[in-house]
This record gives sequence, structure tokens and C-alpha cells, in this order.
Amino acid sequence: MAGAAPPAMAADAPYLKLAGLAKRYDGGQAAVAGLDLAVARGEFVTLLGPSGCGKTTTLRMIAGLVEPSAGRIEVAGIDVTKVPAHRRNMGVVFQSYALFPHLSVARNVAFGLEMRDLPRGSIERRVTEALALVRLAELAERKPKALSGGQQQRVALARALVIEPSVLLLDEPLSNLDAKLREELRDEIRDIQRRLGITAIFVTHDQMEALTMSDRIVLMNAGRIEQVGSPAELYERPASPFVAGFIGRMNRLTAAVTASGGGRSRLDASGLSLMASRELPLGVRVTVMVRPHRIRLSARGGGAGEGNAVRARVRKLVFAGEAVQLEIDAAGLVLRVEQPTGGGGWVPGIGEEVAATWSLDDTLVFAER
Amino acid sequence: MKRAVAAAGPLAPAALLTAIAFVLPLAWLLRLSLDRSSGGGMLVDAVTAANYLRFLGDGFYLGVLWRSTWMAALASALTLLLSYPLALFLARTRSRWRGFLAVLTIAPLLVSSVVRTFGWMVILGDQGWVNGLLRLVSLTAAPLRLMNNMLGVLIGLTEVMMPVMTLALIAGFARLDPTLEEAARSLGAPPRKVLLRVTLPLSMPGVLLGSLVTFVLSISSFVTPKLLGGGRVAVLATSIYEEALETLNWPFAAAISVVLVAVFGVALMLYERAMRRWMI
Repeated sequence: MAGAAPPAMAADAPYLKLAGLAKRYDGGQAAVAGLDLAVARGEFVTLLGPSGCGKTTTLRMIAGLVEPSAGRIEVAGIDVTKVPAHRRNMGVVFQSYALFPHLSVARNVAFGLEMRDLPRGSIERRVTEALALVRLAELAERKPKALSGGQQQRVALARALVIEPSVLLLDEPLSNLDAKLREELRDEIRDIQRRLGITAIFVTHDQMEALTMSDRIVLMNAGRIEQVGSPAELYERPASPFVAGFIGRMNRLTAAVTASGGGRSRLDASGLSLMASRELPLGVRVTVMVRPHRIRLSARGGGAGEGNAVRARVRKLVFAGEAVQLEIDAAGLVLRVEQPTGGGGWVPGIGEEVAATWSLDDTLVFAER
Repeated sequence: MKRAVAAAGPLAPAALLTAIAFVLPLAWLLRLSLDRSSGGGMLVDAVTAANYLRFLGDGFYLGVLWRSTWMAALASALTLLLSYPLALFLARTRSRWRGFLAVLTIAPLLVSSVVRTFGWMVILGDQGWVNGLLRLVSLTAAPLRLMNNMLGVLIGLTEVMMPVMTLALIAGFARLDPTLEEAARSLGAPPRKVLLRVTLPLSMPGVLLGSLVTFVLSISSFVTPKLLGGGRVAVLATSIYEEALETLNWPFAAAISVVLVAVFGVALMLYERAMRRWMI
């Protein structure tokens, strides 16, 4: 679908390849409906989407924990679709940590190595290394229950990494942690993944995690891929209103095309006259989207060159620390606006008349299907 | 202190019932076991250890104690072996027949163990179905002795205890997160290793509870050893019955009962110790 492969990938063959991968549970709707994806070696790819979009099912199919109804999974050119989970060499980190409660931290990490029948000395050395990697060496003899959530998830990470998996699969690993810890572990996971150069698939419903961690994001909806691309691509060039609405905040207006030509279109959104930076067929209904923090407020407006400008009245104003969040009423249409605090932006008062302006680049237009 | 009293309030009826129906009779039994019998059912008030000394000094009764213990242990082990896969299946299956199968598993509890034991007599007897079938295919000249011996008692006990064991195991499996087994698989554990290294250790609380209950029920069982043993398998319960109702030596029957309670105590102690080891 959308999102061409990055240039680096054109050179070498994809390391992990999903082709027409689908899962249909008996009688029900397809959880995953024909997924195509190519992941390069060492790449960090995030499957992002609302709950029920099929991202976890996809991850579990890659892990071998769910059998696909159709399609193929290849790792390094080898078809592993029919290979059972225990012979796939995938490192899985689960949302619930899934540490073995009856084993110590060290024995948890050693589990995968013991399954590979490695000599005892080598197991011990690698367990020590893996625990040092996640900074938990001194807790090796504890039982998982005696650890905090963040520590447990780091043990789970060490346990998945120590087997030197071909792909590291992370299933919402941060969801059960509190906000501060989540950020910390997010950076830690990304850092370790880079250092080891390991290929990683990360599943999350949290756009912030996806934006900050990923080389590429696969945005999924209802079992299908909506868009594949870098975080910046998905944020700045969303392929559909769904993508635009899912990542970051958006104002959403419906409008009709009233004039078109010269690489521009004029739109009418319930009386507001707007401009779009491409030619659209006359009369077509479109969805117009603009991010709240890309709208500038001023007392008089004008002087911004080409772009959109509307007059509005401030309805609501909330101070939120880093920004002031406003709701403005432009001829009956309500727009949300965010102005930075601390001299970065002008902040009007409630009831004040303002001019709201934004550039054509920030005016996203989607023809309605 | 006040809170402890308040908490005890709702427990009072149960405590009272336990006192009346369990502690008092037990105390009475203990006292009775120290009396003397003058034969012919006459009770003589006394405080004597004679009944216990007789039990411990008599090879026959020590044999009864030993036989009862290993019979109960073996029956528990067999029950565990047969119930574990069944319970695992019932706990894991997503089949729409699950509820029906679960009811089917515990349905035997609705039928008296007397009736079920008679059922086994029909199956295991010299003229029973098993021997009938073997004769039909001319596999055996003489009928196999499947009852009126310990083998028959064990077969019967195992079947009688299975629903109880299965219930205890299912309760144990319910607390086992299936994600742990997935984690083990993803780490390279084939199905056999998943069972041995993850499922089995984590289901130990259920295994231990089921084993304790089946052991206690087996060692105190009367009907199955009596009927399927055909009078040839003397265990504690049948001995108590004979002393109390045939020989009319109540003090000695009471002493055997106290020994049985002591075996319960030992079993409970072993259970507690094992649970401490496996509690997570």
C-alpha cells in the first residue's frame, strides 16, 4: 500500500517478510486481512493501531503462537510459516511480562539457553551479560514477584535477548508501567536494540511510543495496513483521515470544492473559504484537517503570505503548562488551537476577536470516499 | 482486638457446628480409646494405653496400617496420573462442549459410591464384562482375578476419586497464566518441556491439594475396600467397622480411629510442607 520502502532497503533483501498474511477466527471477521510487509535487518518497526486492529494477532503469527489462515512469513529468505514456535528463535516480550514465577531472575533468563542445551558455564556467562545489559545484575537471585514492574519487564527483555533471537517481538511491553517508567524503558529498549543491531517488531496503541521509537510505523486499522512510513511521514503526510486523526491531534472539517486551477483549489467549509495546495475536481466533498498547534493566532492577521486565514472568536481557554489550549468559533465552526506559552505565541482572552492563520502545507485535504 | 472479635462474628456458626459435630466426638473418641473392654461389649472405665499397645504390638494391625497407607498413596497417584490430562484438557479447551464435558466429569459424584462400586463388581467379577470379553476372544483359560483383592480395590478407588482430583486440578490450572506457556514455547521449549518445566510446577498447588484430599478419602474409605476387597483386603476403616459392630470392642475401635486421625495429621503436615515449597 502507501509508503514506499526506504532507499536502504532497495539494496538488500528484506530480513523479515510477511506476504498476504491473514488470520480469520472461525466464523468471525478477519482479524488480519492480507498483510504485506518487508522489514530490513536491524530495523525497528512498530505496528500501531487501535485495539482490535490486528496488530497483536500479527505479532503472534510472527512468533508462531497463532497459526495464519493464509499467507507466508519469511525470515532471511526462509519460509517459517509452518515452523512451530519453539523452533523459530523469536524473542518475545509480553505485555504481562510473563516471567516464570517459580524461577529466580537468573533462571528465567537462563530458560531459553537451557532449552538449547548449552554448556552450564556458557549459560552462566551469557545470563550474567544479559542481566548486566538491562542493569539488573544484583537482582539475579530474586524471584520475579519481588521486583517492580519496570524491573520485571527488563528481566523479560533480557530473557528474550539472551537467546540471540532472529527477531525481537515486543507486545505492548510498556502498557502496564506508569508514565515516567514508560519513558525511561522506552529509551532503554531503543538504545539496546540499536546497540545490538537486532531486528525488532513493536506493537503498541500509543502513538507517542510509536513516534519516538520507530524507524518505520505500520499503522493498522480493522486488520489492514493504513500506511507505512517513517514517524515524520505519518505525521506530516498522512495517507488518510484515519492516519491523520490517529497520530497527533487534528481539527476536522468537511468542505466542498468550489474552484480549481493553477495547482490550487478553493474549498467551502460551511461558509468558511479555505485553500488547498492541489487541484481537486469541482463539487467533490473533502475532509480538511489541520493540527491545533499549526494554527497561529494574531489580533489582526494578514502578512503571512499564501495560506488560510479565518476570523474567529475565542470560546474557551485552558492553560496546560507547555501550551495554552483554545477553542475558537469561526462562523459557527469550532477549531481547536494550541499556542506555546512563554512568549512563543500571542494568547488572547476569552471572547476576544482573533485572526487564525495556517499554511497550505499544514492544510491536509482528503477526498471523501 | 475489637476488630478480631468483629471478624469472628460471622465465623461463630461454623465454629459452633465444628465444635459440636467434630471436636466433641473426636474428644469423646479419644477418651473412649483409653477405656477397657471386658469382652461381650462391656465397657470398663479406665485410663489405659492397652488398646494402643495392642495395635502397635500386633503384626496384623500394623499390616493393616501399612496396607491402608500404601493403598491410599497408590490410589492417589493413579488418580493423579489419569486426572491430570483430563483436567488440563477441560481447563484449556475452547470447545462449546466444555461445560457439558465438565459436568460429565463430576457427574459420578451425584451417584453414591456404593452404587458405583457395585458397578465395578459387575465389570470386574469372574463372570463380569472384562472376563466375559477375554473368554470371548479366548485370551484366557481361567478368569483374571480382578476383584476380591487389592487390585480391584485400587481400580474402584481410582475411579471413585477421579472427579474430586479433577476438580482440584482444574482449580489449580485456573490460576496458571497461559501466557507463561507461550513464553516458554517462544524461548525454545518443545511441548514436553513446557509441561515439565512450566505447567507442572505451576500446577503443583492443585496437584498437592487433590492428592491430599484423595489420600485422606481413600485411606478412610470403607465401601470400596469392603465390597471390591471381598473381605480379603483389611484396611483401617474395615477394621474399625469390625471391632465396633462385630467384636463390639468399642475402645479398640476408638483407638484405631485415633490412629487413622493421626495418619491424617501426618498427611496434612506433609502437605503443608510441600505447599510451602511450591507456593509462589
